[in-house]
Amino acid sequence: MELEEMKNTWGKLSKRVEKQEILTTQLIEKITQQNYNSKMNKIHYSEYVGTIICYVGASYILMNFSKIDEVLIQVLAGLSVLLLFTLPVISLKSVRSIRNIDITSNTYLENINLFVRQKIKFQKLQKLNVALGLFFMLIVLPVLAAIQGKSLDQIPDFWTLIFPIFVSFFLVFAWWVLKSYNKVLSATEKMLTDINN
Amino acid sequence: MDKKELFTKVIKKNEGLIFKVAILYTNSLQDREDLSQEIVFQLWKSFDSFNEQSKLSTWMYRVALNTAIYNLKQSKKRIETTAIELETMQFADVLDKTEEERIKLLYEHVQRLNLLEKGIILLYLEGKSHVEIASIIGITTSNVGTKISRIREKIKSQITKKR
Repeated sequence: MELEEMKNTWGKLSKRVEKQEILTTQLIEKITQQNYNSKMNKIHYSEYVGTIICYVGASYILMNFSKIDEVLIQVLAGLSVLLLFTLPVISLKSVRSIRNIDITSNTYLENINLFVRQKIKFQKLQKLNVALGLFFMLIVLPVLAAIQGKSLDQIPDFWTLIFPIFVSFFLVFAWWVLKSYNKVLSATEKMLTDINN
Repeated sequence: MDKKELFTKVIKKNEGLIFKVAILYTNSLQDREDLSQEIVFQLWKSFDSFNEQSKLSTWMYRVALNTAIYNLKQSKKRIETTAIELETMQFADVLDKTEEERIKLLYEHVQRLNLLEKGIILLYLEGKSHVEIASIIGITTSNVGTKISRIREKIKSQITKKR
């Protein structure tokens, strides 16, 4: 199909489209109401739930901090709280950053560049989040055990079975997640190069 | 005529433009409806800032195309779409087989272009001049010609590969 043929087909499609009443007056009025819920830049329910879970977890560790005696475990607990506060902030910040984009004044090319750059930034942040999340999983184990008044050594088969299985599972999971992020990331970076050439 | 009435009139007169942008940037009825409504909302939000010195259609295309880019983030979190559900178009029943095939083919070719090319080809298909395309897209007029030639070559190579 040549461009001219495509133009012809598009012209026919346009004629059909122009005969349709797609946006009704009521719908337009609804959209112009103050309470119209724009889906763009909306922070997803799951992201809010994730944030709440992280903050509840951090509060639990803080409330039980006095039960931890060992200095090393206290340091790990502090790190866990820091991560639980930081991880959702990283996610929400990357979602919110697109709010400042000017859809009216920017040209299409300017917005593509911004969009693709944000996508790259978002994917890099997600990679960081996955890595930090895995690190958190490891350091939170002794903290939770200490809060329960146990030492990891007291849990049967912990070092010989549970811990190696846990680490292997998360290493495979991290490898799989990071591999898929890298694939998308390189495709997005290629797209940015293509657009600007 | 108050602002809302004027806006409704503008949208009703140009709803085809919104619908056509939505067709090319989505692949399902739900996504298309969402995008159409989002475009109307963004147009409404920026209606006050519309500078009457610039052409109404230039402003509308700019807002519609820019909204379409950001909507990609919402729909499938993917930059490209793959197939069109022609049966979800209200006029699918009046299309003959050849016409339907041609629209599908056109859609298929356009989906293989990158975001910049997709915007350019949409405006080209809409019969916009190189000057208008340059102003909406944000590239020079001479670059519009170059890009269109590249798109032509790209489509030709897509056809050759398919054979």
